Amino acid sequence: MIGKYIPVAVLALLTVSPARAEIARIKSSTGVAAIERGAGRLPAAPGLQLLAGDRLVTGKNGRISLSFIDNTRFSVGPNSRVSVKDFVYDRTRQRGSFLTQVDRGSLAIVSGHIAKSDRDAMKVRTPNSLLGVRGTRFIVEVPK
Amino acid sequence: MRGLGRLAAAGLFLGLSACQHSSLILLPDEGGGHGAVAVLEANGKPVDAVVSQPDSRTKLGDATPTTRPAQLKGDEIALLSGMPPPPKSFTLYFVEGTTDLTPESQPALAELRAEIARRPGVDVEVTGHTDTVGSAEDNDRLSQKRAEQILGLLATVGIHRSLMTAVGRGERDLREPTMDNVESAINRRVEVLVR
Repeated sequence: MIGKYIPVAVLALLTVSPARAEIARIKSSTGVAAIERGAGRLPAAPGLQLLAGDRLVTGKNGRISLSFIDNTRFSVGPNSRVSVKDFVYDRTRQRGSFLTQVDRGSLAIVSGHIAKSDRDAMKVRTPNSLLGVRGTRFIVEVPK
Repeated sequence: MRGLGRLAAAGLFLGLSACQHSSLILLPDEGGGHGAVAVLEANGKPVDAVVSQPDSRTKLGDATPTTRPAQLKGDEIALLSGMPPPPKSFTLYFVEGTTDLTPESQPALAELRAEIARRPGVDVEVTGHTDTVGSAEDNDRLSQKRAEQILGLLATVGIHRSLMTAVGRGERDLREPTMDNVESAINRRVEVLVR
């Protein structure tokens, strides 16, 4: 009986672990600044590792800056809510896909390797639009 | 009647986008030049537009987005100045067949340590590169192994393992472009990127 269950557990571990790998690291934060992960909430302290699916949330005076493993850089402004909906990256080939959703607030981006890997491999969604990043520096603002 | 319904629905959509007018500001790249951002969808409908004018502001949500020259506001300047600094790259060369740094690479190691100490929330990517001798697959393995060896070496000189990851790029990023199966000491290198 036990032998029947262990391989399933091992398989579950194998399929879960790549998705839980580090995708970015917090470099700085000020004011009210947190990472929401599932139902949990972590202070956005420098060095904190981000996982795909995490949400960056700031209050009135909050700011967060972070760098991704493909060299993309983010600066999140006050009163913001930004989710990394999808982040897949092959470090050897420097290719992947990246979808960020800006629900509110402001986000400055310097794109990295993923944006260069394929046309529109990096996308940004706002409540009323979808953008394809073609390698650049830009700001997205979503007022309340 | 159906037409009227559609008009009303369109009015509702316009009303929504008016109070939720997201915008895009395209900026010059840090090293000069500029990229572009495509608008792929507006309010769920496909759009075919590309914003490629640097220092411009584009109102999003319309079927044909309008782009105007932009002066950055105070909060936008603050947002940009909050951006993490660009990653810094160090190249290390080794005595052939060993993990001993060449004498010329010793100062780079000292600079690397200083850069790591300078950056809050730092992470370090150790990337191995090979020359074009051997198969691409073998070179992927070789470069990964070399990167892991160097990561181990950096750990022994006091750079914490939790800061570092090893990546093998094989023969994809030649420092000195060559034909296949050409030996090159310049291409056999390890790059350490400090983010």
